[in-house]
Amino acid sequence: MRGPLGRALHSPRVLIALGMIACIGGCALFAGIIAPHDPGEQNLLSILSPPAWSAGGDSGFPLGTDSLGRDVLSRLIYGARTAMLVALFASLGAMIIGSVLAHIAGYFGGALDWIIGRLVDVWMSFPPVILSLILMVGLGVGLSKVILAIVLVDWTRFCRVLRSEVMIVTRNDYVAAARLLGFTHWQTIVREVLPATLPLLITLVSLEMAIAVVVEAILSFVGLGVGADQPAWGQMIADARQYVYQSPSNLLFPIVAIFLTVTAFNLLGDGLRRTLDVRLTEIGR
Amino acid sequence: MIATVVQLILRRLLAAIPILLVVSALLFGVLRALPVDPAAMSLPPNATIAEIEAKRREMGLDRPLPEQYVIWLRGALHGDFGQSIQLRRDAGSLVAATLPATIQLAVAAMVLAGLLGFGGGLLLFRVRGTVLEPVGDLFSIVLLSIPEFLWGLILLFVFGVVLRVLPFTGQVAPGLPVPHITGFLLLDSLLIGRLDVFASACRHLILPAVALGLAFSPTIMRVLRSSLFDVYHEDYITQARLRGLSERKILLGHALKNAALPTITLAGVQFGILFSGTLLVEVIYSYPGMGNLMVDAVRNADLPLIQTIGLTYCVVVLLINTTVDTLYVILNPKLRVR
Repeated sequence: MRGPLGRALHSPRVLIALGMIACIGGCALFAGIIAPHDPGEQNLLSILSPPAWSAGGDSGFPLGTDSLGRDVLSRLIYGARTAMLVALFASLGAMIIGSVLAHIAGYFGGALDWIIGRLVDVWMSFPPVILSLILMVGLGVGLSKVILAIVLVDWTRFCRVLRSEVMIVTRNDYVAAARLLGFTHWQTIVREVLPATLPLLITLVSLEMAIAVVVEAILSFVGLGVGADQPAWGQMIADARQYVYQSPSNLLFPIVAIFLTVTAFNLLGDGLRRTLDVRLTEIGR
Repeated sequence: MIATVVQLILRRLLAAIPILLVVSALLFGVLRALPVDPAAMSLPPNATIAEIEAKRREMGLDRPLPEQYVIWLRGALHGDFGQSIQLRRDAGSLVAATLPATIQLAVAAMVLAGLLGFGGGLLLFRVRGTVLEPVGDLFSIVLLSIPEFLWGLILLFVFGVVLRVLPFTGQVAPGLPVPHITGFLLLDSLLIGRLDVFASACRHLILPAVALGLAFSPTIMRVLRSSLFDVYHEDYITQARLRGLSERKILLGHALKNAALPTITLAGVQFGILFSGTLLVEVIYSYPGMGNLMVDAVRNADLPLIQTIGLTYCVVVLLINTTVDTLYVILNPKLRVR
């Protein structure tokens, strides 16, 4: 594994993406130190003030304030924390469920494969946006609920793509050899099959992170994401959409934040796909 | 030929029935598992417990879940999807009133996605081997990574707020009449002979349709380009070149025809995904379609309405996929013989 991963770290795409992710992740991690204000602190005397550099701006609020007089920069920084938490845990959760089922289906085949395959089919006949909205109705708002909803919707992406890869790997002679050496099924999957499917798995995780960031923003935008007390980019957009003529810059900043984060994860995924030589014909959106 | 196609459509539709049954049962199960009581919600807050119990019995909520599902399914098959709790109107007719607006948006976006996708794909193919190739490559990756949600916001910001050239709220300028004949505003405004309404509706459709179209064009672009690459390895391209045909004629007259088939199939599959993408674009642009109705229903935990809209999205997507499968057989002579 050292070889291909080392190669990936020399790809400019991967390096640029990792640099961007490190910056955003740094903001998320050290939000309490970097942010000039408490993200929930309301200053009703200076609502919708423009960025500090434009006329009428207040140097105390570098990027201006929102409709409740909360500091936009601080909310952006804390919003990064929400986005990164969702990206990390939602993609890992979806990866675990999806890849466990994919390895079972692809390795054992037969009836298990059929059942898991039909489950994926039915699941995917729900458009993802619709399914996540319906799940949020049931789960209620909150960070962990958003993560759970994304996991429950997106495990199929992993399952479908990985299953066929596992089937191909399982046909290799060294897998049969492992069985002949007396490996149990479990040992064979973990020691022989998994290392071969790992590059695809890592690539899918980085692409899923981009999707998770967008879905979290969408759910928060609609008002069904994290709670109202937790800053999120989607909420900032929904708020700015209402006062778009008074303060257009408030709409711009969270859009740019989402765009940069999504591009970083997609660039990472693309770079990994190229360097790890992953066949990725169709992932779906 | 016609008999084969009819048979094929029937077979596909039959195959869709079990999926629909499972999907509707799942939808029903998930929504009934929620900690929300539709009976209590449809009564005023000062209703007594006895009144709520009576309402529960009236709505059939005291029966076991499978029985409730069968009752609901029987109603749905007769076009009765229950009452919206929030709006106190028949859920089926609420969906029927908003579906045309959503279809209008989806079709406009698909046409745009197709034009942009084919145009961009041809362009990407034309610049192969030149210095512009990596530029085009990077460009298409950036395009691919921007979802419709972001496109919607970016276009709203640039054209609606900064340049102020296009409207970005609703489907027609306030004050203009909204005729209801077929439900498709573009068509209805022409039917009543109001060109001003038609023009306004067109202007309001531009940003949402472009946002959605832009999000789905890069996939079409990339598939067209890679199928053109495949086609160019075929002998008939070399032969056309030997016959002295111009590059332009080879590309448009020979290669495109053969590369179009896989691209159209993919575009069809994309149309299914695009249709559900209308939801977000509608919310961003306050466009009065099914997506906005869904989000309102979800915010108010309006279970009968959520169930009806959710099912409608699934049915439309299934129908689109069935149609695409059939079209594929009609368009591909190799599959027709079977």
